[in-house]
Amino acid sequence: MSGRQREQPLRGRLTGLALIAPALVLLGAIYLWPMLGLGRMAFNETGSTGAMAPALSLATFRSLFEDPFTLETTWNSVWLSFVATLLALVLAYPLALFLHRTQSRFRSLLTVLAVAPMLVSGVVRVFGWLALLGDRGLINAALMGSGLTAQPTRLVYNYFGVTLGLAESLMPYMILALLAGFGRLDRACEEAAATLGAPPWRVFLRVTLPLTVPAIVLGFLLCFVLAMSAYITPKLLGGGRVFLLATEIFDHAITNANWPAAAALALYTLVLVLLLVAAYAALTRRAEA
Amino acid sequence: MEQPLAARNHQCALTRRMSHLTLNRLSKRYGETVAVADVSLSVARGESVALLGPSGCGKTTTLRMIAGLIQPSAGAIEVLGVDVTQVPAHRRNMGYVFQSYALFPHMSVAANVGFGLDERGVGRSERDRRVAAALSQVRLEGLSARKPRELSGGQQQRVALARALVIEPDVLLLDESLSNLDARLRDAMRLEIRDLQRSLGITTLFVTHDQTEALTLCDRIAVMHAGRVEQIADPVTIYERPASRFVAEFVGRSVVLPVERSEAGLVLGGRPVRTAHPVPESRALELFLRPQRIALAGPETEAGAHNRLGGVVRSHVFVGDRLEVLVDTQAGRVTVETSGAGAVAQPGDAVSLIWSPSDTLVFARAAP
Ligand SMILES: Nc1ncnc2c1ncn2[C@@H]1O[C@H](COP(=O)(O)OP(=O)(O)OP(=O)(O)O)[C@@H](O)[C@H]1O
Ligand SMILES: [Mg+2]
Repeated sequence: MSGRQREQPLRGRLTGLALIAPALVLLGAIYLWPMLGLGRMAFNETGSTGAMAPALSLATFRSLFEDPFTLETTWNSVWLSFVATLLALVLAYPLALFLHRTQSRFRSLLTVLAVAPMLVSGVVRVFGWLALLGDRGLINAALMGSGLTAQPTRLVYNYFGVTLGLAESLMPYMILALLAGFGRLDRACEEAAATLGAPPWRVFLRVTLPLTVPAIVLGFLLCFVLAMSAYITPKLLGGGRVFLLATEIFDHAITNANWPAAAALALYTLVLVLLLVAAYAALTRRAEA
Repeated sequence: MEQPLAARNHQCALTRRMSHLTLNRLSKRYGETVAVADVSLSVARGESVALLGPSGCGKTTTLRMIAGLIQPSAGAIEVLGVDVTQVPAHRRNMGYVFQSYALFPHMSVAANVGFGLDERGVGRSERDRRVAAALSQVRLEGLSARKPRELSGGQQQRVALARALVIEPDVLLLDESLSNLDARLRDAMRLEIRDLQRSLGITTLFVTHDQTEALTLCDRIAVMHAGRVEQIADPVTIYERPASRFVAEFVGRSVVLPVERSEAGLVLGGRPVRTAHPVPESRALELFLRPQRIALAGPETEAGAHNRLGGVVRSHVFVGDRLEVLVDTQAGRVTVETSGAGAVAQPGDAVSLIWSPSDTLVFARAAP
């Protein structure tokens, strides 16, 4: 009797393990193993010829931390990701709220449409932005055609263009995260607030917004991490004038063929994001308590 | 009892002037569905009226239109003679207690109750004083710092009530507010709400599908059916003199027997039967009786001016506070309710069922 009782949980645990084993193996093969390889690579040396030599040296890290450019790039990345995520949040929030509330027959269609940009390659979307914001793009054509400006206004190949493009690419994720988190939002609470004398904007500030804070926290976290690791949009919309961690890693690895430097910067970025996420989690938990 | 016409007219005018809340041919359509149709109702100051009816008859819809949460398709709502139909919810000053309570989960009990006062720009010390007073009214003094999720269902209900009362609303609207509570708590809360409502003299509209709640809690009852009000009257009239077949069936238990019209009058199970009430024109008729208004007597009892129907006892059902006796008669099976005290006819005994013509109601038979 007691033997069977002890057996059950063990078998249960084994079943659980068996069920997640494929996922674990896959993650190990495509994520953990390369990460370990990357970590190892960061301690290699770059010879005078530029070729990588196996070693156990901290030289790469030393030059990484001594370079003032690292700090600047870090700041660029964090600030740009923050602004782009905030922008995505501000743009996605009303849309998600509408999708959450609408009684329309087309609700699911509208939701699919809202996240449809995810189905289009990032490269294609960037070219869309170029057609819109470029020197000979739609906006500049309109500005100059109407005589408002004589010279094209710089809208891309700068931080502004990258932030805008990044925010747009984050929006579908933000909408999905917000929709997932809006479950706690109870229409009756908002109606109760109205019957108690709160005009619509006060209902929003005192009831709707506080009740959707968990959704905002979740969406912000997800999109910030995505923004920090985004590469295609900053690369193409930055046109070589925007310096972020992700683009620097690529430049080290491909343009300079300096693999240890790329690996070291990648590790540094990973730790940075983990630290930021942990700080964010601690902060929101404190605020909730 | 006869009043001069002038006096009666005067009283009519007075009642109209005193009407606190008036619904004037209120209707709400959702596409093809008619949720509420032509509801007219006038509630006096301090009066409590129940909207009673089965699920889906339009009670909540009516209440939400009064609160301004939805716009009526037609008709008007007046409070103290002022048309508020176009006034948005936040300027109507109605206390609404939702079925789900709809407490703000992110706020403490005190903040919940104080919400309406904040919106009215009431100063802090005054607000705190009134919140404390409202919480003590509903006997929740010690719990002001708790969050709603840390309260029991009954306590949450009291918070919702205090939150609606503290703003001193023109009208208090309660939507099935007791249906989430267990039977004991519901009885207790019923009495509490009634006492509070009476002592504050607050005009109240109470939505329920529970007839006991309506009968015990309210001065008048409006019985609703398929979006319409079938009858508005005090509880005794609703119970004793239902105006329609629907009201008779919905409120209280009833015995329904087919009855025929003949040259001489109504015929029930081959015997003439008398009623003190008007009989509808329709050909197919049904007779309604309250089971506890039927007396069981020996088989040869003289009924006199009363109605009599012979039958044989089939069985007994003991229901705790009463005994139900099933009797097979010429007209069909009849359930009679007795207190169960004293000698009870046994199954197989021949008995007479005796009841008064004034307890005899006749309605048109429902379409099959
Ligand atoms: N938003 C809506 N759209 C379409 N039909 C609706 C809507 N709201 C209510 N109805 C319909 O109107 C009718 C009345 O609904 P209501 O909620 O007022 O019923 P109720 O009397 O409160 O019922 P219950 O006792 O179940 O709460 C129902 O048939 C319902 O299906
Ligand atoms: Mg309802």
